Amino acid sequence: MDESSAAADSFENGRYKYIHDIHNGPPEAIDVHRIVLQRSSQKKLLIFCFLALLLFASPPFFFFVQQLNLLTTLPWSLLVGGLFVRLLSQKLVKKESVIILPAFGVQLETQYGSGRTIRRFVPISKILKPVLNECVTPVTCYWSLALIIRGEEELMLVFKELYPPVKMLVPIWKAICAAIDVEET
Amino acid sequence: MTHAYNNRSGVRYMTGGLKVYYVPWKPFLMQNTLPTFYGTLPIIRTILIREKISVVHGHQAFSTLCHEALMHARTMGYKVVFTDHSLYGFADVGSVHMNKVLQFTLADVTQAICVSHTSKENTVLRSGLPPEKVYVIPNAVDTAMFKPAPERLSNNEIVIVVISRLVYRKGADLLVEVIPEVCRLHPNVRFVIGGDGPKRVRLEEMREKHSLQDRVDMLGAVPHANVRSVLITGHIFLNSSLTEAFCIAILEAASCGLLTVSTCVGGVPEVLPDDMIVLAEPDPSDMVQAITKAINILPQIDPETMHLRMKKLYSWHDVARRTETVYDRALRCSSQPLLERLSRYLTCGAWAGKLFCLVMLIDCILWQFLQLWQPDRDIEVVADATLTSFLHEEMSRDSFFFFSGTIDDIS
Repeated sequence: MDESSAAADSFENGRYKYIHDIHNGPPEAIDVHRIVLQRSSQKKLLIFCFLALLLFASPPFFFFVQQLNLLTTLPWSLLVGGLFVRLLSQKLVKKESVIILPAFGVQLETQYGSGRTIRRFVPISKILKPVLNECVTPVTCYWSLALIIRGEEELMLVFKELYPPVKMLVPIWKAICAAIDVEET
Repeated sequence: MTHAYNNRSGVRYMTGGLKVYYVPWKPFLMQNTLPTFYGTLPIIRTILIREKISVVHGHQAFSTLCHEALMHARTMGYKVVFTDHSLYGFADVGSVHMNKVLQFTLADVTQAICVSHTSKENTVLRSGLPPEKVYVIPNAVDTAMFKPAPERLSNNEIVIVVISRLVYRKGADLLVEVIPEVCRLHPNVRFVIGGDGPKRVRLEEMREKHSLQDRVDMLGAVPHANVRSVLITGHIFLNSSLTEAFCIAILEAASCGLLTVSTCVGGVPEVLPDDMIVLAEPDPSDMVQAITKAINILPQIDPETMHLRMKKLYSWHDVARRTETVYDRALRCSSQPLLERLSRYLTCGAWAGKLFCLVMLIDCILWQFLQLWQPDRDIEVVADATLTSFLHEEMSRDSFFFFSGTIDDIS
């Protein structure tokens, strides 16, 4: 099996990077769209969480340190710090991808910083249409891509954790629409 | 932009491509959200940047969202227009506080609009705004919807229609005095009362006391779509408000060909020509006399002629054109530096002026922080939607929902 992949498109905006590959292997061309959280953004987030923890946890921590010996507290603090970083990397998303397999369906992947990947597959017959929604919260307003699933009331979000800009969502939306149209004809 | 109503929240597109943002802040009192001062700054900034707004237009002095939006818009340097729709007093505690809040908002507004000359006087006195900044644009009526009945009603039985919220402000107590007297004096008169409110109980009691069940019909709350069908059953429209900046109800009645009897308060005398309205003092005996006079002039009234006159006098297109002129003037005003704007707040009062300055300074500081956290260029601008597809397709607007929260509109 010889799969040749061509990088059809890729561009980046300060926070996110969009990569579009087409794998021309058998049986048919597979479309892969990836949205990667930039390293600088990941680092910024980590630094911010660390600072926040320092700010809120340090007063009670120092209160306890005065009563205990420093030697015994140091390995504990390292352990707690290590656990904290591991927890964060599990929550921090590294990249999310959308793989469109024509005539089969759409696979949505979420890859976290720790390497853990969550995959969801949606058969093509179950997708009614992808929609671009403007979401309004009490503090902000952003675009999101969702799939209308036949028979279900709730929309399925394509990108669960990331908030990519609409310029990156539009090509993915068009590709899914095209795949559904091909299936229907 | 407004707050969410029941389960209506998110973005909706109305006729003509009007985009409405229903922001999910819960209303807590009389359709008003809790005054959060700075809480609405992030969402207002996001909406103003993504839609490339040039002028922010706020309505109604009672709306907290309106005052906050105007304050944040001024901080961020946008031009601001405010429309006042009501008259307020000067005496009671609520009015004093409201007037202070209004003074704060209007101290720095670019232009203001009032719905009648009386309202302009009232606003200028309450807020200390220079009169040159205030424009008068009266409301209008949709004459296409409010047409008279196809056949003229017979004059054997005279029907007097009252449609209003049954509250103190709208003179429900006056009605309680007037109706039995009129029924006694004129045996061929019948009343139709549409609307609901706290004073409804008093009107029901009046009905019982004078046994007027067959002469007074109480319809309960009438949805706006059905108002015309109620109006065309009558000959005379009675308005007993105790205060009114501009009364659209009497415009609707006149457009349907009814003769109006109203209390001579606020901006009411400015609304209709003298031959279409009979004015009275807000006093029961004076109103009874006015109704008698109206019944006597009734044979000379032609509903169709009235309707055609109203069509020429009032139109929403005219209001839109005049409002656009106000927007153009606002856009041409020069931007002022922060210090000059702050000095205007100082003139509001001895301690109030300093408080207002402080509030604005904190707003400016918060805005700078917000710009560091999320720079302007990170907020994406919304592309202009192609509207031709909206007009021709039958699309369910509800597909734009995502989150399940007196109209503030932003143009």
